[in-house]
Amino acid sequence: MTAQTFETDFWKDNELRKTWEQIVPGEPRKTIPYTLTLEAIQKYCRVVGDTHPLYFDEEYAKTTPYKGLIAPPTIHILLMFACTPADDWMRSPGTVNAGQSWSYNIPARPGDTIRLEARALDKFIKKDRLFVVHDNVFFNQHNQVICSGRGQTIRPA
Amino acid sequence: MTTTTQFEAGHKITGTPFSPTRETIRAFCEASLDFNPLHLDDEYMKGDFGKTNFGGIIMHGMNNFGVITKMLTDWLHEQNAVQRRLETRWKSPVKPGDTITPKGRITSLKKTANSRWVCLDVEVRNQRNEVVAAGEAMAEFPQ
Repeated sequence: MTAQTFETDFWKDNELRKTWEQIVPGEPRKTIPYTLTLEAIQKYCRVVGDTHPLYFDEEYAKTTPYKGLIAPPTIHILLMFACTPADDWMRSPGTVNAGQSWSYNIPARPGDTIRLEARALDKFIKKDRLFVVHDNVFFNQHNQVICSGRGQTIRPA
Repeated sequence: MTTTTQFEAGHKITGTPFSPTRETIRAFCEASLDFNPLHLDDEYMKGDFGKTNFGGIIMHGMNNFGVITKMLTDWLHEQNAVQRRLETRWKSPVKPGDTITPKGRITSLKKTANSRWVCLDVEVRNQRNEVVAAGEAMAEFPQ
């Protein structure tokens, strides 16, 4: 997958996506392995104003315990969409992020092929809103956990 | 930015202020591949979301995550420490023209066999001093 082939119109495949009614807690979501490039890492870093040399300066990064360039912990923000297909319900227009917790193991690095294991873990109704609890784990090509996260979204009615 | 090494409850850190604009929100769409119309489509955002009406496009909630993380990693990288956890809840939407600033405060310390762990409360406030995101973080320092 590249940014060039990524469908940016989130309305387009909306009929294919599961609604809150159809989401089955425990059922794995379809995911796609994604090769993380240095370009994608640095594009993300610039947007959030994080230009630490560990993400930009290879000579510097080699002198650190990481021994090379890494991605910042929050690269999972990109990976969530990069590793899921166009009919995934994270893309349903109107999905509102209600909160997230992430646990970080080892950093993602440029050139890594990243795999996501994801599912809804739970769903509930609170204050008249439809919630889903997400369970996500990202792995690198060596099957090492990069990070794992739990999130809650409010689903479009 | 606070860069001193301190290991006591109450120690505070402050991050770099961030001022989202329509352009930075669009750039965040491109960089994160999150093209939810909440962040793109003013017409769509005229509608109601349950009892909420945002009145226009809003910044990605996860942009707060990036801003908090920059604060933490600027502090941690130079001490060979690692951000191990971040949890946040979004309290209020952030809109183009706002300026948000992340802050952190150490709440507790814990030693284990090989590491020292630091727990922090984190929050992001806008220029009106309203909390837009709040949560907790955990970092691992070498012994």
